[in-house]
Amino acid sequence: MEKNRMEELVEKYNEGLADPSEISELEKLIENGQVAFTSLKNLSTLEDMLTNSKDPVPSIELDARFYSMLKKESGKMKSSSFSWQWLIGNTFVPRLAFALTLLFIGFLGGYWLSKPQEKSEVASLTREVSDLKEMVMLSLLEKESATDRLKAVSLSNEMDNASKKVTAALLQTLNEDLNVNVRLAALDALRPYTRDSQVREELIRSITIQDSPLVQVALAELMVALQEKKSVKELEKLLKDEQTPKEIKERIQESIQTLI
Amino acid sequence: MIKVRDGDLERLGLLFERYKRPLYGFFYGMNKDQELSEDLIQNTFLRVLRYRHLFRGEGDFRTWLFHIARNVRHDHFRKEKIKTKDPLENWEHQLGHSENRYQEMEQDETQMTLSLAMDRLAPDKREVLLLSKYQEKKYKEIGEILGCSEGAVKVKVFRALQELKTVFEQLEKQR
Repeated sequence: MEKNRMEELVEKYNEGLADPSEISELEKLIENGQVAFTSLKNLSTLEDMLTNSKDPVPSIELDARFYSMLKKESGKMKSSSFSWQWLIGNTFVPRLAFALTLLFIGFLGGYWLSKPQEKSEVASLTREVSDLKEMVMLSLLEKESATDRLKAVSLSNEMDNASKKVTAALLQTLNEDLNVNVRLAALDALRPYTRDSQVREELIRSITIQDSPLVQVALAELMVALQEKKSVKELEKLLKDEQTPKEIKERIQESIQTLI
Repeated sequence: MIKVRDGDLERLGLLFERYKRPLYGFFYGMNKDQELSEDLIQNTFLRVLRYRHLFRGEGDFRTWLFHIARNVRHDHFRKEKIKTKDPLENWEHQLGHSENRYQEMEQDETQMTLSLAMDRLAPDKREVLLLSKYQEKKYKEIGEILGCSEGAVKVKVFRALQELKTVFEQLEKQR
């Protein structure tokens, strides 16, 4: 429609001269958004009056009724923690379910994937710890302090399967350490390895090396416990030795008797 | 409203404070009954609570609220229609609450004439004008409430305003 015709229609309407066909023509223009209410002066004034008219005010009772209803409904909601309406309507729930499923799948996948790796990792860590203990033990055995050397010997007790290096170090301690207590502790630490024939032979050889009667008796008792008949020759050497105390000779004699 | 939907019901109090007057204006404008209008507001907010999960948060809350309000009013009158009423009772209903009428008389005469002219309009015309007022002339949103296009709402408002103008002018002449 031409702009002039639109203006003409609006003007006619504002002057109250528009006929029904012109009004229906105007309606179409309003519907299409080509004519705004603001251009229809009489109507826009009336609409503004309506918009600006004072609003009726509700009574205070409405507030009281509303808040009591709200309290009641909140109480209902708290008492029934589960609601299907909430479950269906709330978008948070499906999201949470999805997240939990993903997490579960992740855990499952992670568990299966990492299982062999984890095992090998644990084995490697155990080996590393064991190596470290061994290193600490060997270095402690070289210390001047007897306490440190005792610590070293006791550290070997914590090892499930000591290497030959450790047993050799313990045997060396048994034969060469200046402190009797350390030597006794080394003998005690060697007990678990007496199944090893090499260790047993070294223990037998140690009998004549020992100058301490306490260690000699302990070795004799160990030989009895192990029923090591090969040790008899070595024990007899102690009996022949003049430096061996009388009481010790008696104990060793007893041991020899048991072994024979 | 999104917080109310997600379970923070106490927040409904804020929405009530913000919208109780426009809702009351709409209901009272339609019924001229203070008690009934307050009942309808109560029912509207109860329905907001019960159906809060249906609020998607995509549109305007005011539009959703007035959509519910309109349904609440329709449901009320559908139930009332079943109960046959005495014509005199209907007249009393139209006259409304005396207290509010008295308040209106205190307003200036033009406003009172306009209010009277509104009362004489057909309910559908009165409704579209009240929605126009309380939806702040957002014709697209009114279209969502009434279930028609923005253009159709404009035509409805135009026709209602024309009739209001005619009645208003008649009442002014009688004064």
